[in-house]
Amino acid sequence: MSDKGKEQPERKPRFLPGQRLGKTVGLSHKRQRFFGHNFATVYRFEVVRALKKKTFWLSMLAFPLLIAGVYGLTFWAGSQSESTLADLAKEKFSIALTDDSGTISSEMIKQIDAHEIAKKEDGLAKVKTGETDAYFYYPQDLTKNRVEIYAKNVGIFENFKYQSVAQALLQNSALTETSPEIVAILTGQIDYDVQTYQDGENYNPMMEMIAPGVFLVLFFLIMVTFGGQMINAVVEEKENRVSEMILTTIRARTLIIGKIFAFLTMILIQVAVILSLVVIAYFALRNNLNLPSFDLSQIPLDWSRIAVSFTIFAASLLLFSGLLVAIGAAMPTAKEANNFFAVPILLIIGPLYVAPMMITDAANSAISFMTLFPFTAPLPLMLRNAVGNLSLGETIGGIAVLAVTAVIVFTVAARLFQTGAVEYSKKLSLKGLFK
Amino acid sequence: MLKLSLGMTNIIEVKNFRMCFGSKEVIRDLSFEVHAGETFGFLGSNGSGKTTTLRALLGIYEPTGGELLINGRPYDVASGTKIGYLPEERGLYKKETVIDTMMYFGQLKGMSRAAAREFSLDYLTKVDLADCARMRIDKLSGGMQQKVQLGITIMDNPELLILDEPTKGFDPVNRRLLLSMILDCQKRGATIMMVSHQMSDVEKLCNRILLLKDGGAKEYGSLASVRKKYGGRTLEDIFVKIYKGENEDE
Repeated sequence: MSDKGKEQPERKPRFLPGQRLGKTVGLSHKRQRFFGHNFATVYRFEVVRALKKKTFWLSMLAFPLLIAGVYGLTFWAGSQSESTLADLAKEKFSIALTDDSGTISSEMIKQIDAHEIAKKEDGLAKVKTGETDAYFYYPQDLTKNRVEIYAKNVGIFENFKYQSVAQALLQNSALTETSPEIVAILTGQIDYDVQTYQDGENYNPMMEMIAPGVFLVLFFLIMVTFGGQMINAVVEEKENRVSEMILTTIRARTLIIGKIFAFLTMILIQVAVILSLVVIAYFALRNNLNLPSFDLSQIPLDWSRIAVSFTIFAASLLLFSGLLVAIGAAMPTAKEANNFFAVPILLIIGPLYVAPMMITDAANSAISFMTLFPFTAPLPLMLRNAVGNLSLGETIGGIAVLAVTAVIVFTVAARLFQTGAVEYSKKLSLKGLFK
Repeated sequence: MLKLSLGMTNIIEVKNFRMCFGSKEVIRDLSFEVHAGETFGFLGSNGSGKTTTLRALLGIYEPTGGELLINGRPYDVASGTKIGYLPEERGLYKKETVIDTMMYFGQLKGMSRAAAREFSLDYLTKVDLADCARMRIDKLSGGMQQKVQLGITIMDNPELLILDEPTKGFDPVNRRLLLSMILDCQKRGATIMMVSHQMSDVEKLCNRILLLKDGGAKEYGSLASVRKKYGGRTLEDIFVKIYKGENEDE
């Protein structure tokens, strides 16, 4: 070691540059193999470590558990309020009434053991003295004047029972005077069967929307639920100060593509598990919770429209994944990157505000613009395809715009990742990217 | 092509390298070569542009001007040159285990899964971290993490090692361990380019040096010739003389 400072004879190197430069033809194949190898390595590393994380499973199970909890709570609260009203109605209290409208049937008055009083003042006096618990005054013209209820105070919630009884008395009296058909009509208990036809074939636009529309719902759920995680996955290298070392072993583009495919795999796993749980819960609890029954075989399958929806979905997913990656690559920390998460989400959900117009007025120039502008296109394209008012030209143009923009965004994202790799403490500016 | 046929042994060639950040010119005009099989000391004061040069050499920064070549071409990860890079900014995947992290980098460098695992376990045993293989990186001390990072750097027997302040943060025992590993790499014929502020390390390890000042090469040549030029002084004295001026030295 000590003789290093002296002039030394040149050591014969083991690696000579000429050995490598002479094999340019072989390098192309080697590069391809290298890309495949590194892509697979990144993909496997990201998938395996995500599956090992408790937070992955917890976050995945949290969603169906939350939905089940909310549904259970709503069901319980509904049954509680129903039973409370029933209990209140059953509760005995003395009633006096004056019916100037002539609507209340004498049979009903007998059933609830009420006393009829000629003058309103007398009824009010009986309540004040405690001689009766409640007094109902039905005016001559019920459509113009209010039903007046005077009663003994029994607490903020229990006081509602008086109105419930007065209302029930009025409604039941009216129903006894009306034919069952009229009652059914007025209470909306008539069933309708609508059959619509297009080109001589039975065509139900609502049912036709379901299969292609699934991709729109899926796209929204993926972006809103997992978008933040995607940003974090990209910013991780920089936050952990690994990017400089990793970029000497792998290209930024390969790393990013590997991460995105791993991430999409995670989403597929999560969606599969959540759907399985939903299906299991549906069949297990369908009878107990009076859940509506679905006949999936009734859903029409227009395969060409489904294929178009899937293509738009895939292109949209790639484009917005690229956008999220670009945000992650430009920011020094996950915290700062997440501040910008709202931008792609706003672009995705913004067109929702004009969704009805996309169905009823697709020729509107604003709708056409949103359909072909890449960052707003996913919703109009998928919704209009589901509805069936997306022309062939718009379909091809929309998909092309999404695909081309996705490639551009990915290229920019990779460049951002490369350029920002050593910007450990500051955001990368666009000026910094293109200088 | 003529150079190649004559068997030129420059593994690194930097020609008229210029680097600006905005209006600030960090490197003005830098040219040097690193011969295959040698250990090259790349020296300079803080902020003189050493790390910037290494990053430009490895394609992390795009140079403002000039050429930076490894094995005759700008560096590309798929070019086939096996490089081990220990950056100045240390870091690893903190939530991952030691063995998983090492195997991941090993595979990225082209090793098979089995070979990466075997190398990692051997290395961890060698540096007394065998018991930590299944521990998460963030549970290790700073020094232990540095050892892991060094292990990743030398995985797959790189033909070119680029070490940016390799002994930074090491205690004397681990520093000695690290130096012995660098010597092992030298013995198997690897080319080493190292940035260091430890002049004694440079004197022990390096054949040739470059002293960077004001964005250019202030001194460049064999260690012996540079020392001879300054009257046989130690490298540390030469460093102080160059960067602080003659009076500081006396």
